[in-house]
Amino acid sequence: MASIINSIAFKNFFNYYGEFEDNTYELEEGINIIVADNGAGKSKFFNAFLWLFYDQVLDSDTKQKISIKNAGVKIISDKAKNETAIGDYVKCGVTLEYTSGTRYKYQVIKSFTATRLDEKVTDKNSWQFVMNELEVNRTELVLHKYKPVYDEVEKKQIIDNLIMPAFRKYSFLQGEEVDDIIDFSKKESIEEAVENLTDIKSYEQIHELLDEFKTKAFKDLQKQLKANNIQNERFDDAVAEKEKIEQKLEHEKEKLEQWNETLSVAEKEKNDLDKLYSNAEKRKELDDRLKPLRKKLRDKNEEFENFLDRINNRFFDGGFAWIAMGFENEVDKFRELNDRYIEKRYEKKALKNVEDNPNEYFHFLPENSPDSVSLKNMIEDQHCYVCNREAKEGTPEYSNLLKLKNRTKDKQSEKPFVNNDLKNFFGDLQINAQPFYNKFESIRDSIIKTKEKEVEIRDNIEKLKKQIKSIDDDRNSILIAGHDSEHSAREVISNYTGAVKRMENANNKINDIIIPSVNKNRKDLKAINDEIKSLNKSNDIPDGFNENYEVLSDLEEASQKAKERVFDGMISLLEEHANMHFKNLIKNNDLSGGILKFEKNLNGSINFNYLDSKGNSVYGSAEGFQRMKKFSVVMAIISANNSQYNYPLLADAPISAFGEGFTEGFFEAIGDVFPQSIVLVKELYKREDEMKINELGKRLLKDKKVRTMYVNHVTEDSEQIDLVTTQTKLK
Amino acid sequence: MTAQEFKNTILLKRPRYAKSKIPVIEAFANKGQSKSEYSQFGPIYELYIYAFRLGLKKGLKLPLPPRNSTQDFIEIGKWKRDSSLVDFLLMIIFSYSEEIGFDWNDLEDFDDKELNQVVSNIIEFIESYANGGLQYLQEEWGNDNLINSSYLFADLMNE
Repeated sequence: MASIINSIAFKNFFNYYGEFEDNTYELEEGINIIVADNGAGKSKFFNAFLWLFYDQVLDSDTKQKISIKNAGVKIISDKAKNETAIGDYVKCGVTLEYTSGTRYKYQVIKSFTATRLDEKVTDKNSWQFVMNELEVNRTELVLHKYKPVYDEVEKKQIIDNLIMPAFRKYSFLQGEEVDDIIDFSKKESIEEAVENLTDIKSYEQIHELLDEFKTKAFKDLQKQLKANNIQNERFDDAVAEKEKIEQKLEHEKEKLEQWNETLSVAEKEKNDLDKLYSNAEKRKELDDRLKPLRKKLRDKNEEFENFLDRINNRFFDGGFAWIAMGFENEVDKFRELNDRYIEKRYEKKALKNVEDNPNEYFHFLPENSPDSVSLKNMIEDQHCYVCNREAKEGTPEYSNLLKLKNRTKDKQSEKPFVNNDLKNFFGDLQINAQPFYNKFESIRDSIIKTKEKEVEIRDNIEKLKKQIKSIDDDRNSILIAGHDSEHSAREVISNYTGAVKRMENANNKINDIIIPSVNKNRKDLKAINDEIKSLNKSNDIPDGFNENYEVLSDLEEASQKAKERVFDGMISLLEEHANMHFKNLIKNNDLSGGILKFEKNLNGSINFNYLDSKGNSVYGSAEGFQRMKKFSVVMAIISANNSQYNYPLLADAPISAFGEGFTEGFFEAIGDVFPQSIVLVKELYKREDEMKINELGKRLLKDKKVRTMYVNHVTEDSEQIDLVTTQTKLK
Repeated sequence: MTAQEFKNTILLKRPRYAKSKIPVIEAFANKGQSKSEYSQFGPIYELYIYAFRLGLKKGLKLPLPPRNSTQDFIEIGKWKRDSSLVDFLLMIIFSYSEEIGFDWNDLEDFDDKELNQVVSNIIEFIESYANGGLQYLQEEWGNDNLINSSYLFADLMNE
């Protein structure tokens, strides 16, 4: 009869602010999914189960499980606390309903009341706590009214029946804890699983009993022999030899044990480091990606700083000439003044010439007018084409033409007509300053473009920062809680290879030296036993003693073998099931088909390896993959059991490291193994989506194995004090 | 005086600023030193030219105090060397010849003493408006009216 949780509800429990009715999740047989982004109440939901089963919650700050009594102030909704007046009280609780079989339905309520004593909301001294009595109610399914259960033993039993304590570790999956459910390097760990699944314990008891009987039978036999054959020295020698061999064997066994211990320590270290090792590699890969990005960011930041520093240079740089902005009128005025100056200057010069040579009026003519070619023609033709009159050689007109033609030569000997000739001063200013006043039109544009350029660089920097942050987040998520983030990759890798080396060394010692020696001693022992037996034959002792010893020897050997067969049988069954689940889990991934292999060590522990298609062990794979392997074994332990597994799976984000292909496989696999699964998951969340779930989420929504699906919401950008989780039921 | 000699006379001058403006100069011209929270110019002459433009455009003419309350800095000829910045500045200044009180053509007839007087007047013209501009910046700064942005000075020109 499977236990099925029908609903769970919260009252002022963490962010689940409000009454039970506001925070109720109706659940069904099959798969139930609660999708929630980080901070949207996933772990809090899971904490409710911890409270119900263990009176504990997981402190998200310290990652430690703490008693509900000590957690007190932390687990009450801040909003509820804030709304409680001093002297008033607030109630916080969790309620769960479940059915077991077809007859009864149960309700379990755990709660406490907190009275506010002081102003400071989050200070635990401001509150007085009273744990309320555990409420357990029962009803027959055909009825509607619950009746309270009063007997404390019965209350406990009802909670235990939901998930039996021995099985809780298979039913409770929280994040990385999957890794710790089974520690393959420990003999007890897999034995415990096998014990849970088989009657191997009784085989062991039988074997122990028979071994004891056998030893006793030999001692009896020996007594008889000694009594009956005092002078048989050969027999005594044989017995002495036998004892010697037994001692040697014992000694070898002790050595074997020591080396097994060494092996198991090294193996444990290797297994512990497996995850870190793969993480170290992955982290190194991310670090390699981060390095050039960080450099690029530094360069960009520097470029940005320089850019900002140089903005004001643009006022004075002829390429930008911002300082010229607004000086249009001044430049026009300068030109106007310059024209006037040139004009006046010319007049001044002309007047001066008139003063000096009152008869040479041509000084009034502009330079090069008439041009030298025309003048030459006029002289040759002895005719002035300007006034169209004759200018015969010898006449004043003719000599005037000659003078005009020679005027440039005269000019060289011309005397300065001003004290300070500043014509070039003004002219040069106007020519040189062009880069500035030519920019008038474009300055405003240039300023706008500069601002745009700034935005562009800033955007680039933001983009880079986002990229780095995203990789950084990935990098941080690789680190396992409890491990120092500064645990250097190199250290991990060196410890890992060290452990592997020690394992190899111990294995060589055991397999090449100790085991052969043990075997040889065993062989010798058997030979000497036979020798003793045949010596017996010649002696006159009652048959019963001999037969008794022989029969018990055989039985002891047989029971030893039977025990081993049961164990081996269960291991190969587990292997078979684990591979089945593993294949399902990875079927949406492009992982090429390897297999999970269980190998028994001489010391009884199980080597658990992933072999690739060529039969080589694959070490140090990614964390998600490691977890997938172990999760396959957890499911195998459940599914290899002859009877059906009767308890729900309660899982908080066990798939965060899996990747999408694994995630899909996970949901398919759990449906086959667990009668009911309640999975809290972030990976299906998509903020931008209208329904807030991603494509995989939508596919799962349509899957008929998925019976209910909720999405949790939190008010965005709200203060902790206003934080409220609400939920939408999608299915 | 030739054109070049006349120009050199101007370029050799070292305009002065009032000592009361030292804080504002230190705040807005870093002279390649440490940075302040505000957008800054590099050498003093940059801020000085900017202040001159500001004073001129806003009509803020403020004569310098007596000489020992003032301080000089590098000569105009060394402002942004290998650039036509100073030529452009002189172009602007000579367009104000009426306000400064001379006629371009008259300059050509002056003797050296008279010319030197005109150059002095020109420098005084620069100094008074630069002083007016610095005064304006100092007041705005003191009254917290300056927006701390990289475009502080570009935006201020548009006002």
